[in-house]
Amino acid sequence: MNAEEKAYHERFMREAINMAELALRSDETPVGCVFVRDGEVIGRGMNATNKTLNGTRHAEFVAIAGILEKHPISSLKETDLYVTVEPCVMCASMLRQYGIRAVYFGCWNERFGGTGGVLNVHCDPSVDKPYPVTGGIFREEAIMLLRKFYVQENDKAPEPKQKKTRELKTEILPMEIHAPRPSSSKSETSQTQTG
Amino acid sequence: MVADEPASSGLEHLGVVPRTGSLVPLKTKDEVRAALETFEAYILEVPARWAGAVKDAIQEAIPDLKTSDFQHLRRVVQFKYLPLHIQRRYRPPHPSRPRGDGSEEDSEVTEAEDDDTARYFLVSPTTAIEHATLIKVLVQKTPFGDAARPPWALTISVPALSPTSAEQAAQWSLEYWPVAYKNTNPYGPHSSLLARNGLELAPDAGTMLALADAAGKHVHDMGFGEQIGCVIVDRTAGVNEIVAVAGDARWRSPCGEPTSHNDPGNVMAHAVQRAIAIVGKKRLRVAGSDPDSVPSPAPFCDTPVTDLEKRFHTNTNIPPNGYLCVDLDIYITHEPCVMCSMAILHSRFRRCIFGKRMPLTGGLTADTALQKPKGDAVAGTGLGHGIFWRPSELNWKFLAWEWLDTDATTMITNNTDTLQA
Ligand SMILES: [Zn+2]
Ligand SMILES: [Zn+2]
Repeated sequence: MNAEEKAYHERFMREAINMAELALRSDETPVGCVFVRDGEVIGRGMNATNKTLNGTRHAEFVAIAGILEKHPISSLKETDLYVTVEPCVMCASMLRQYGIRAVYFGCWNERFGGTGGVLNVHCDPSVDKPYPVTGGIFREEAIMLLRKFYVQENDKAPEPKQKKTRELKTEILPMEIHAPRPSSSKSETSQTQTG
Repeated sequence: MVADEPASSGLEHLGVVPRTGSLVPLKTKDEVRAALETFEAYILEVPARWAGAVKDAIQEAIPDLKTSDFQHLRRVVQFKYLPLHIQRRYRPPHPSRPRGDGSEEDSEVTEAEDDDTARYFLVSPTTAIEHATLIKVLVQKTPFGDAARPPWALTISVPALSPTSAEQAAQWSLEYWPVAYKNTNPYGPHSSLLARNGLELAPDAGTMLALADAAGKHVHDMGFGEQIGCVIVDRTAGVNEIVAVAGDARWRSPCGEPTSHNDPGNVMAHAVQRAIAIVGKKRLRVAGSDPDSVPSPAPFCDTPVTDLEKRFHTNTNIPPNGYLCVDLDIYITHEPCVMCSMAILHSRFRRCIFGKRMPLTGGLTADTALQKPKGDAVAGTGLGHGIFWRPSELNWKFLAWEWLDTDATTMITNNTDTLQA
């Protein structure tokens, strides 16, 4: 990637980071994205799983739902996605079925990643056309946003967890991404069961 | 498990005729791997009284041999427990044994003795020691030092991983080498857990799938989508409480009109996605907030589009304080696509049952059980994702079954279908 291309992609990833910051302020997992066609942002999205009580309302879904209100489905074939965290398996498949042109992301998603993190839904054998992916654009910023969310959530918990988990870590570790926080003690049990 | 007593009443007047058939648990990705993976190993015929000494000699020759890597394989076996093909290699049906130890009568006597006294010893994987080196080690030891009794080591294939059920252990013992089953399944749900859940689901599963069929038929008749339907059920109280019914709506425009069938249609309006969204809105209502206060663009298509869907939409029959789709079961007419399979996992469902396998697009199956139909080179491969049970990679797992109709002719048999369900 030459300097000019780098600047082009970073410009849009900055917009995606802005969406992730908005998600963080709204108590949602800070994942943000923008869809770009002909050098213009045609849709924006952020994670909305807590607000909707729907574990599938990821930033990519929210953005595409907005786009399809105004644009035909076929326009996605000339559209690129910039997202702060690698698309999960679900979103990676959704993007491939819609025929997305290319995907650029910030950090890898070692929990659910569908474009290299766990599975390779973007290029595995499928009836749909594969798409190219480029990861690592503003990776550290994307991770720091997730980490801030993690600390913020732990501080809200009625009984704060072990102190070390509340500190803002700067080293880069895998963590659970996208999953909405449980709303009952029962589900917290379920969560820890499968960790 | 034949579903013979449909318990869900009140669905008959909707034209829902229960399907008759059975539930077949899906194989997990690790189970499929475990069933296929083998390695080559040496086996050795040893007089019973020397078995211990030979074991020690092997340990000495291969000091870093990790027998824990093949704990599931019996180390010392009697002739009668060997698979037939190995028995024949040591004792061919004709008296043409490579060991020239006397006349025919003599050898018959020897064989009769051998049956009681010979043991068959699993030495090691072939990667642990060269065949020539192994023989060199053995001829220095009793009883192989005797030129009349050269060490007779064969190479056989053995299963690399533990069996996941007693049936599999029995089958492998016939096919490869005697195998021990420890009543655990490290590669998937325990068979007793599956059996218990299968028994619980079987009586109503045919009815739930028939309702999913109806949901698919209704959207298709209106031109909104493919004939794919989905039903979400709460069975925590022991009876099926139908929480959401949704059909596919990929051909429905944001303004609610049928559109032309240009691929791929509106992917996020797959039946599973719509049904999950309807559950989320029910949860909001039960929690006392107005679902309409949360913006939900029309392409999500998360409101009922047919009368059948409406019927199950209005009642708030979902326990308060629930989390996503924890404790709920999901029935689908087809094996869900990769996107929908992962949506089910994200939503933390308890159990999933689907009707028709989708070898080219389905995300749940891990095996390649479907046989290639005649003259069709493409179908029957399967994507192998097995998204329902990959606990080392994904943070949730659930039980999954496919449904097999008793009368197979009623099943849709177009296996080349590229449809994403
Ligand atoms: Zn996602
Ligand atoms: Zn689907």
